[in-house]
Amino acid sequence: MKITFFSLAFLLFFAIDGNAQKGLDPTADEISQAKKLRESYSKDDIAILESSELITFDLNKKAAKVIVNHSIKEHLMNINHRADIQKYEFYDSESSIQNFSLKYRNDKTASFSVKDEFYKDRDLFYNDAKVKYVTIDFPVQGYNYKYEMEKKYDDVKYFTSLFFNDEYPVLSKKITFEIPNWLDVELKEFNFDGFKINKTSNTEDKKTIVTYTLENVPAAFKENSMPGRSYLYPHILVIAKSFTKDGATTTLFKSNADLYNWYKSLIAMMKDDTTVMKSKVNELTANAKTDEEKIKNIYYWVQDNIRYIAFEDGIAGFKPDESNNVFEKRYGDCKGMANLIKQMLKLAGFDARLTWIGTKHIAYDYSTPSLAVDNHMICTLMYKGKKIFLDGTEKYNSFGEYAERIQNKEAMIEDGDKCIIEKIPTTTADFNKETFKTTLAIENETLIGVCNKTYQGESRAEFLNIYNGFENTKRKERLDGYLSKQNKSIAVSDVKTSDLQNRDSKLTIDYNIAIQNKISSFDDEIYVDLEFMNEYKNFELKDRKVAYEMGYKTNYVSQINLKIPDGYNVTKMPTNLSIKENDFDINLSYENTGKEIIYKKSFMFKNGLIKADAIEKWNEFNKKLKENYNQQITLSK
Amino acid sequence: MKTKLALLFFLAIIGICSAQDAKEAREFFWGAKDEFKKANTIPDKWKNESAVIIHKREHYNYHKFGKSVTYVSGIRKRIMLLDQAAVTEFSQFSYKNKFYSNRAYGYKKGTNYVGVKIIKPSGKEIEIDTDKESKEVDGEKKLAVPNLEIGDIIDYYFYSVEPFKSFFDYTFEAVETPLGDVYPTMDLKITLDTENDFFINFNTYNGAPNLKEIPTKNSGERSYELSEKDIPKNEFPRWFYPLAEMPCYKFQVIFARSGKFEKLADGFLSEKERDIKKTVSKEDIFDYYNKKFVPAGDIGDINDFLKGKTFTSEEDKIREVYYFTRHQFYTRYIEAFVVNEAKIFYPFEYYGNYPIFFNSEVQFVNYFMQFLRKNDISYDVIIATPRYDGSIDDLLIQSNVKKLIRVNTKNPVYLEYFSPYTSADQFNYNIENSKAYVLEVSKGKRITDASTVQLPSSTYQENSVKTKTELTLEDFTGFKAKKLSSYLGHLKDSEQSDRLNFYDYVYEDYKKYATKPLLDYVKNKKKNEQYSNEMKALINKMKDTQKESFEKSIEGELDFLVDDYSFKINNTGRYGKKSSFEMEEEFSIKDNLIKKAGDKYLIELGKLLTSQIEIDQKEKDRKNNIYSVYPRSYENEIILNIPVGYSVSGLEKFNKKVENETGGFTSTAEVKGNQLIVKTYKHYKNYFEPNANWNKMIDFLDAAYQFTQEKVLLKKN
Repeated sequence: MKITFFSLAFLLFFAIDGNAQKGLDPTADEISQAKKLRESYSKDDIAILESSELITFDLNKKAAKVIVNHSIKEHLMNINHRADIQKYEFYDSESSIQNFSLKYRNDKTASFSVKDEFYKDRDLFYNDAKVKYVTIDFPVQGYNYKYEMEKKYDDVKYFTSLFFNDEYPVLSKKITFEIPNWLDVELKEFNFDGFKINKTSNTEDKKTIVTYTLENVPAAFKENSMPGRSYLYPHILVIAKSFTKDGATTTLFKSNADLYNWYKSLIAMMKDDTTVMKSKVNELTANAKTDEEKIKNIYYWVQDNIRYIAFEDGIAGFKPDESNNVFEKRYGDCKGMANLIKQMLKLAGFDARLTWIGTKHIAYDYSTPSLAVDNHMICTLMYKGKKIFLDGTEKYNSFGEYAERIQNKEAMIEDGDKCIIEKIPTTTADFNKETFKTTLAIENETLIGVCNKTYQGESRAEFLNIYNGFENTKRKERLDGYLSKQNKSIAVSDVKTSDLQNRDSKLTIDYNIAIQNKISSFDDEIYVDLEFMNEYKNFELKDRKVAYEMGYKTNYVSQINLKIPDGYNVTKMPTNLSIKENDFDINLSYENTGKEIIYKKSFMFKNGLIKADAIEKWNEFNKKLKENYNQQITLSK
Repeated sequence: MKTKLALLFFLAIIGICSAQDAKEAREFFWGAKDEFKKANTIPDKWKNESAVIIHKREHYNYHKFGKSVTYVSGIRKRIMLLDQAAVTEFSQFSYKNKFYSNRAYGYKKGTNYVGVKIIKPSGKEIEIDTDKESKEVDGEKKLAVPNLEIGDIIDYYFYSVEPFKSFFDYTFEAVETPLGDVYPTMDLKITLDTENDFFINFNTYNGAPNLKEIPTKNSGERSYELSEKDIPKNEFPRWFYPLAEMPCYKFQVIFARSGKFEKLADGFLSEKERDIKKTVSKEDIFDYYNKKFVPAGDIGDINDFLKGKTFTSEEDKIREVYYFTRHQFYTRYIEAFVVNEAKIFYPFEYYGNYPIFFNSEVQFVNYFMQFLRKNDISYDVIIATPRYDGSIDDLLIQSNVKKLIRVNTKNPVYLEYFSPYTSADQFNYNIENSKAYVLEVSKGKRITDASTVQLPSSTYQENSVKTKTELTLEDFTGFKAKKLSSYLGHLKDSEQSDRLNFYDYVYEDYKKYATKPLLDYVKNKKKNEQYSNEMKALINKMKDTQKESFEKSIEGELDFLVDDYSFKINNTGRYGKKSSFEMEEEFSIKDNLIKKAGDKYLIELGKLLTSQIEIDQKEKDRKNNIYSVYPRSYENEIILNIPVGYSVSGLEKFNKKVENETGGFTSTAEVKGNQLIVKTYKHYKNYFEPNANWNKMIDFLDAAYQFTQEKVLLKKN
């Protein structure tokens, strides 16, 4: 804790009444409860003793919208020595917070100052999400507060999912829905398997009360590279299908056709003026010899020239920006870019459509008609009976290749009054292959040789993105540093690359290398350590209990050829190592041909994922991998 | 009706005023007098840069009406963007449109005016409507610049109008900066407009051009300008003080309405406000400080402390008094601040109405002047400026000055303003080895003259860290390690401030001086119990965080993870140069540092030296001189317990010796009994090395790096 010093006289004006009154401090029982809980939840500072949520519905007759009232009551207890946390709640232009309050354990109001600010999302330039929050301190173990919050949604379509898991472990969780008879709503259950969720349903005169309870809910995982939460935790997705008023039924979202209709109405609001793009489209297609070349020129131009700057306030979160705006501003979000690609392709005479899609982060598909299903927009080119998907936000993406995050996901393609649902094809790890090849010889205790690296698919796109983001003057330095792994013992020179603006062909890098401190001579023996790349050595998933999601399906292959110096024999080589599991397939092999030692490595992660139940196996393997990497080659005279 | 009309009229005036200001801003930078309206080309030599600043203008305007001061500052940059990184950098702006001026009095609102325009390669100009295009988020405006592409020029300005009221004198914050920017600059212009009652200190250094006075129509007005062309971008290497060598300027403006306020001012004022003050002389120093330093304070507490005590020397007595006052007037209150910040309770009522607490250098100096005067001990006051600011001959800005007391005992004792870790045996390393002013004090109380002195240096032996790491093999796959570290001199106080929390030292001070910990003042049993529990909880939480940070620290040094970590602080070392900061750590190293070589093992013992400075090719080509914080030394001992039945070889690689006039790295290795003992010693001798010596430094730095790569072979007998 940094101490700031200021005049005491000044401080005398700010007497804080830290007087503890009776009843605010935890009882002996509460303290022992906290101690016990800390044993079970050693990584959490706070435990929520009970949490209950109540969801009720109202009808806004004038606007023909269904209103949702969502209230939460929680009892929070500090189970560590001391805790200082922020309790927060989000809202936006479609919702409002009616009540946000804290009470001490004796029900006296706790007057902490509530802040209300814009929620600054890292990826969005401007959005209307706001956050109400309060900073609270729990001075001793067992200290507890009661929290109450009431939020109102102006339109049920924006009220999507309810989770049992929270930032902190919850001992007793209850979610209650009071569904009025005039509302036809489906409570779609996900990931309930394996959890003892109790569900009761009671029909009363004017409503049905559905209650879910679950005990001892662990805190949400706090790891990086996790799959989206819709895969991991049990939850309920609320789908309001229709409501009946005065005998008339209004359809909300019964099927994905209804979802599409709403999206269509937003698109109808656009007033594109494509004349501004005409000359650019002509410029891009005039000298193109084939259709594919024309399409590529347009698609790549949007990738390269439109920056991703997202304004997601209110309807801008759902309605694409007009293509002429995106074109003239030279910035936009995924919707704006998709629309621009569509309009430019149309000007060039092609059939291009707007397409909604949920990225890999989202577990749902369009059999669930909900706004929670999609979070992205791309463009579909209908060409000679085939569908080709174009994503302007994927910089350096090659035409006809699809980013990992949209592969195997359902796309909703506009088709006039109806929509087409089609899955984006998947590729294999081989498609993204990355290779490393080097031929080395020993000269003066240094490994000297030539190297070659290749990238394709997603490994290529990732490389190009990073490289081209550096300042002009820093690129060579950064590339050299990358190839030498920022290791002073590795010197690279004569670096030659394929065209680093070309996103279609295989990316190659050739260079010379000189590696020191990998050869140790003792008496008549030379110990050679060919492990200077150390792939996956530090990829340890210690204590992790949730799946690890990689950027893309990975296939990495390496081969090191070492010329055996004259007069020496290989007396010891590290052992081969391999493992073949569903999520990873790895081989390390050493071969002595008499003239050379050939050290081959291949790492295949064919699913781009290490599932939770495979983590233990991975950690065991990682240990063996490290042992293997620690083994030297022994050469004797 | 009348009030409504009046209100509308009033608002209209405000609207007109701010619209007027906005027009003024635009006209000021982009108006008829803009010489750079059509400047659209850059020199060939900079075509490969990320961006080039075609023109940069900084403007400062100080005017007043009675007590109302209006401070206008503006900056304009016209930049050609040459790659994606630059386009991304300038695609987004955020700024506060309206802000509350916190200067002097009058919580008034200031306004920022922003203009942005884009010039395409064809010459077409597109001006952005910043009000329309920006979005407001929590009082801040965010602007996404439309239509920006590689090859475009972006020309933008920020113009800030800040009114405030100043009843007394007011000192504006100083500006001290090299001329250069992140990108190379073709043309730079700095202008300053002001009038009577504003005193300006301005000077340029290291070959920067001088400030020119521009004739004005009105005799009360003054106008100045500094121009330079062709300024390379700032790319500073490590161990470098830009202000000491790069062309730079320093300036500060002080508002003082009359002689009375001039005397109160917080800076060195020129004789006449018409004249720019370029340097501060010995006489200026004397004039400014002779009234500010006056013996003052009640030394009763010190007298009580000294009662019945004897000391081996006068120097010793001074030191003991220093440590006592460091507690009595400083560390004694730290618990209170902690408890207040954590909202545990309001503690200050327990300390009486007017507890003595030093919160400024001047107060500290005056108090010690009093003590020394009353005890008839000769002393002087030292005025010094940090080496990174340049020489004291170039002193211009008062707030840069550090003040010390030099007690003129046989071996002088220097006393500086407290931190929990200051020592009476050393003073701030930034002013060591620099020329300083001595304010000579006669009869113990009057400052009668000023002279100069070269402040003493500390040596690399005095600023040292000694470590001893003992390793025991575990299963031949890892090690159990125990590390003892001991710090002295300046390496000590930087380590103390990084690692120690209040609870590590306040209680030893209470014990030493028999004063009461905070909770002893709380007589109410129930409250005492509650507060004690909450204090304990807070300290326990802080201890958890402290342990995590110690563990991360050693993992960062070793560059790999450790397990089963624990640490202990054996001595805080807060009582003088002979007491070292000592700590011990224990941890396990798993699957690291040991490699299998058939049936033998290679142990990467060198890595225990921890990460060393790595000088790459780019740094090798360094053209600047080298500035060290202070001479220092690092002594390490690494002990490997050789398992029974095994022996080690390859010790030759651990015997190194590189020594020269800049410093050195030496290492030795030998087997003693069943232990391999490796010793290293690295030292930096000086505060400054000319560039000609850079290669000599690289020699020992490379040797130290190479040491970390050396391995020893372990084999069965």
